Amino acid sequence: MKKFQDRIGLSMPGLLFGVFLLLLPWFPPFNKEYILRWLIAALIVGASAIAFDFSGGFIAVINFGFMGFFGLGAYTSALLAIRFHLSPWLTIFIGALSPAILGLLSGLVSLRLRGMMILCFTWFVGLALMGLATKLVFLTRGSLGLPCPTLYKTASNVPYYYTILGMMFVTYLVMKLVIQSHYGLAFRAIGQNMEAARTSGINPLKFRVVNFILACAFAGWIGGFYAHYYGVLTPDLMSTAKTTEVLVIAYIGGRGSLWGGAVAAVPFVFAMEVIRSVLSDMPGLNLIIYGLFLIFVMLYYPGGLAEGYRKIVAKLRVKEIAQH
Amino acid sequence: MLEVNNLNTCYDFLHVLWDVSLVINEGEYVCLIGPNGAGKSTVLKSIAGLIEIKSGEIFFKGISIGDKKGDQICRMGISLVSEEMNLFTGMTVMENLSMGAYTIRGKKKKEALMNFVFELFPRLAERRIQLAGTLSGGERKMLAIGRSLMSDPSLLLVDEPSLGLAPRVVDTVFQALEVLNKKGVTIFLVEQNVTKTLQVVDRGYVLERGKIVLEGSRVELSRNEHIRKIYLGV
Repeated sequence: MKKFQDRIGLSMPGLLFGVFLLLLPWFPPFNKEYILRWLIAALIVGASAIAFDFSGGFIAVINFGFMGFFGLGAYTSALLAIRFHLSPWLTIFIGALSPAILGLLSGLVSLRLRGMMILCFTWFVGLALMGLATKLVFLTRGSLGLPCPTLYKTASNVPYYYTILGMMFVTYLVMKLVIQSHYGLAFRAIGQNMEAARTSGINPLKFRVVNFILACAFAGWIGGFYAHYYGVLTPDLMSTAKTTEVLVIAYIGGRGSLWGGAVAAVPFVFAMEVIRSVLSDMPGLNLIIYGLFLIFVMLYYPGGLAEGYRKIVAKLRVKEIAQH
Repeated sequence: MLEVNNLNTCYDFLHVLWDVSLVINEGEYVCLIGPNGAGKSTVLKSIAGLIEIKSGEIFFKGISIGDKKGDQICRMGISLVSEEMNLFTGMTVMENLSMGAYTIRGKKKKEALMNFVFELFPRLAERRIQLAGTLSGGERKMLAIGRSLMSDPSLLLVDEPSLGLAPRVVDTVFQALEVLNKKGVTIFLVEQNVTKTLQVVDRGYVLERGKIVLEGSRVELSRNEHIRKIYLGV
């Protein structure tokens, strides 16, 4: 058991954070429905940030079309539920397959490219998906919005909150276990020095494609939840601005930590909502603040929250040793 | 063990290697010397499969490897040591070594290899949880060699191990290579430090402007008029 705890990186603060999130909806002001909606939005971004970091933080491939894959999963799940009257609980899993397959295909093409070129390629894939969702009106109803069935029949947000919390945890757990396996070492090696990875007998393409498939599948899965929570889908959910939101959270959380994005999401999305409502007569200003914050973090604190946490732990340990 | 026939390699339109041919027998310690920009590193990279060759043949243990990729060649037992290619600066010493043993199955064998590396370079054992990027030049070189050894290679390609090192550290590195050679690892060494190199190797090739201009045993090379004048400065 202890060994398993180590493998998934579950520490005391991590456990406390989990308990905190579990109890959060029962305390004012968080028990109000509109605040719960914010929290759910934050957890969706947090879970996405984990999946985003799985590629960005390890194999150093920034998937700039992340929300395209997310939206593909959302639309697939919604359409399956509408056309074939399947339960949304089933379709969010089937829905995750289509971004996984697209992830495989674009992985095979794009991962032969490097650096900036991969970023552009994934970005264009995301834009293309958004374009399709807008233009294929007979299928997606375009920007009119696609109404789709919800997961629960109740108007309360509490069950949705726990569902997305569980999904975020599962996303973290699966990705952490992969990272802790010998795959994780290869991922990091490829991210750091592809030539050296090759001279160690690693085929970079294989590992990058595996990584990409998994990250895209989880993006689509979370996208499915998004569809069946809000009950309506519009193409602008796939926009680059939304990807940037996930990217900012993942970077503030700390690249290559996985958990960083989940921790950063709640306070950050909350702060952004507050800013947006305060500055409601100046639309778009929140995006500028996003951008500035991202630049600030990348310049002065590239390790993000996770780095800060590591430093505090290291300091405490030094103190402990000094006392003995 | 390794046979290279009429190897030609280009970087885009720049023709670097011209009909390079060489042979390395099992257990030998062979060097390739030559001036800067002659294409020495390119020879190693061509053999290791990191750059595409234009024409020619490379045989390793009788199998043609000219069109194979770097990861396949590594699995066959050829390991390249070069500083810029070999280290993961954001990983610890231990993780770098584990990466080297990525193709090795079996925990016991990995541990044995790691112990061997730590025995060869006790400095690395002291620094096992330190990030590779924070090591000194000499330690990096040791780690690069150690990492290559972790894949249990039968042929070690070593690119300029003495580059940028203090003389005392150079000695350590050369001693380690000799120990390895005595243990049966075939070594193909590319070096600029000709004086030092000609003290340790069995045989050597001289590469100038992408062509092999001379070959011979250590004694022959040390006595050669051209070598003495250009490389040894006597």
